[in-house]
Amino acid sequence: MHRYIFRRLLLLIPVMMGVTFIIFTMMYFTPGDPARIMLGETAPEADVIRLREELGLDDPFLIQFGRYVKNAVIHQDIGRSYTSNRPVVGEITTRFPATLKLAALGVLVSVAIGIPTGIISATKQYSIFDNVAMVLALIGVSMPNFWQGLMTMLVFSVYLGWFPSSGFSTPMHWVLPAVTIGTASCAIVTRMTRSSMLEVIRQDYIRTARAKGQVESKIINQHALKNALIPVITVVGLQFGYLLGGAILTETIFAIPGVGRLMVEAVLRRDLPIVMGGVLFIAVTFSIVNLCVDILYAFVDPRIKSQYK
Amino acid sequence: MFKNKKLLVLLSMVLVFALFAVGCSQPADDTATPGTDDTNEPADEVTVKEELIVGQGADAVTLDPHSTNDQPSSRVSKQIYETLVAQNENMEIEPSLAESWESIDDTTVEFKLKQGVKFHNGEELKASDVKFTILRALDSSHIGHIVGQIDGEKIEVIDDYTIRLSTKEPFAPLLAHLAHTAMAIMNEKAVTEGGEDYGQNPVGTGPFKFNNWVIGDSIELVKFDEYHGEPAKLKKVTFRNIAENTTRTIELETGGIDIAYDIPPTDVSRVEENSDLVLQRAPSFSTSYIGFNAQKKPYDDVRVRQAINYAIDMASIIEAVYQGVGAPAKGPLGPNVFAGHQGLEEYGFNVEKAKELMADAGYADGFDTTIWTNENQQRMDIAEIVQNQLKAININTEVKVMEWGAYLEGTAAGEHDMFILGWVTVTGDPDYGLYALFHSSQFGTGGNRTFWSNDRVDELLDAARVETDPSKREEYYLEAQEIIRDEAPWVFTWIGENLAGVQKNVKGFTQHPAGHHSLHGVYFE
Repeated sequence: MHRYIFRRLLLLIPVMMGVTFIIFTMMYFTPGDPARIMLGETAPEADVIRLREELGLDDPFLIQFGRYVKNAVIHQDIGRSYTSNRPVVGEITTRFPATLKLAALGVLVSVAIGIPTGIISATKQYSIFDNVAMVLALIGVSMPNFWQGLMTMLVFSVYLGWFPSSGFSTPMHWVLPAVTIGTASCAIVTRMTRSSMLEVIRQDYIRTARAKGQVESKIINQHALKNALIPVITVVGLQFGYLLGGAILTETIFAIPGVGRLMVEAVLRRDLPIVMGGVLFIAVTFSIVNLCVDILYAFVDPRIKSQYK
Repeated sequence: MFKNKKLLVLLSMVLVFALFAVGCSQPADDTATPGTDDTNEPADEVTVKEELIVGQGADAVTLDPHSTNDQPSSRVSKQIYETLVAQNENMEIEPSLAESWESIDDTTVEFKLKQGVKFHNGEELKASDVKFTILRALDSSHIGHIVGQIDGEKIEVIDDYTIRLSTKEPFAPLLAHLAHTAMAIMNEKAVTEGGEDYGQNPVGTGPFKFNNWVIGDSIELVKFDEYHGEPAKLKKVTFRNIAENTTRTIELETGGIDIAYDIPPTDVSRVEENSDLVLQRAPSFSTSYIGFNAQKKPYDDVRVRQAINYAIDMASIIEAVYQGVGAPAKGPLGPNVFAGHQGLEEYGFNVEKAKELMADAGYADGFDTTIWTNENQQRMDIAEIVQNQLKAININTEVKVMEWGAYLEGTAAGEHDMFILGWVTVTGDPDYGLYALFHSSQFGTGGNRTFWSNDRVDELLDAARVETDPSKREEYYLEAQEIIRDEAPWVFTWIGENLAGVQKNVKGFTQHPAGHHSLHGVYFE
């Protein structure tokens, strides 16, 4: 198991190298001169040329890329933001907690609501509860994030005054964004749990358990749920990774200073160091979340554990 | 039992992970608390509120005025720093750090500095700081062009409180340029000590000093007790970054912020109808225009350009796109810019006349063209309406929406037919609003993306730039604007308006046409 984890962590190195190269290339060949974008349309050409020189933007692609990799590997320095001149690492680490918290709360909402709803739906298939839950899940998946965010804000902050409308400082501030970001994932988790559960409760060993006279709640919670959880864990893990990288809309609507917004602003400003740093950071986090999911499999299914060598 | 245990382990792992995720964000949380915390707890104190929270659409980039020239940063810097001279809301030049000034000759001005002015770090303002600041500004690729006319080698410090600035050639709008927020006077010692991180620890002479910055979220300023002028009435000012327009309005409605900058046109009625809020409207320096590529056929023909001006119903665009905010533009400059020609005749909506002109130019059957815009909702809406209206004179228009960087590059290279862009005459001086846009030396990246030129206009703009007599300058600019109006390198579109939503108990707030509003005199009732 330890060897497996170590091997997986080693695999992060080629992943990071690949991501670095791809993003650097894409940013380099995207039309639009970073210096011109930073200075705006009103700045004279001479100033733009000067800034290009200062940032070393006139060098050929390979030299720029080489310099980036050299600084990153040898000096552990991934640069400073072109616009704010703050170190990239600091810029990302000050913003990452908000994004992590938002994603974690979103996953919490989706798991806390999604799994129980999925289980009940499966055990009471075609009941009113099941039908209502599935319709709600469909709405949850289809509802655009930004619209839902604005609506919840309108209802719960403006009309009812229960929660503050934006910011992310106190637990009261967390509720609306967490629900907004968690809704779609919650719907996916519900549907996944339900279908996986439905498959499992038709298995022979469940029938055997029933025949032995086992209490229904134990059959569901102990025998069925554990086997039904594997695909659900996969989905939750993917959702968590997705929320980390895709929290941008929720962050924007609720004015949460997270990595998603930082990245979008950086792309628009062609702030290459921030984009590179941000993508690397998200790629690494995503890989680690995936690794955690794989480790979790082993706990749920001993057969998988035996394969981790 | 054994199986149960494993499930327990799994669940506890999830829980631990969630706790870890929530827990590790605590430090950022602590710093985020000031400013935002009290927004949901209604103050039960009887005393008057002394802490103002302002919401704007983006976080400041840096508080080093020489490292950026963006509005959100200027709005914060304006409270921290001061300039040699200042421009009030009516664009009149007033003494600020310089208490008086006089022209020595055509190119040299002598400034007498106010004595006893303290920087936030305790240092006293000296003429050497002014010299240091201007030299540093000249060296900046971000704002160098604003002071580019000053000759760095001829800055002369006469004594601690007297300094002479010279321009390379006579430059009439010098004072307006010195009043630009980018020309904030900085302390040499603070800048040198701050090094690369100075932008995170700004030191100025203004009524508020920098206190704390939660990157991406909020900036907190506190009252500077040793301020040389009348002390600020507020104890604390917090700038919150609320990017989404609607969220900013909602935050204002729910009392989370006291002033919301840039209320979007769609939310105007919401704010107006709310009895707790006041909507402040004031003309701004911004303008929108549709430019032609005057060197490309058929836009090299003035009749075609005029025909399109006649064929577009600007009033309906203002109503539909800007929901009545702002006004149709008559010429290139708004009414609050010095020498902005308000006697110009508006083209007006006249399809018949447009058809005549098109026929005269030999385009009775119209032509195919494209109109470029970036991903700006209002500009995209305008493009669509224009596309529709131009059908009446048989012009078949394709709307091309481009990403900002590519858009700037393409229009600078002259690849476009028509394009929609804006301009802000930040200094309130016509030189800033005309030279870059219409002088033949500024083709492409310089600002003149229509590639239109006129010898007489070049002559007038050059002459007005060096003319020191204001009435003569005005004459030159009025004539230039008449020619520009008649030659129509633009479809004159829209003159902007600053919209701020303010809580009723906030007093003393006025908007500056350039958008960087001073909060010095603001107080709560």
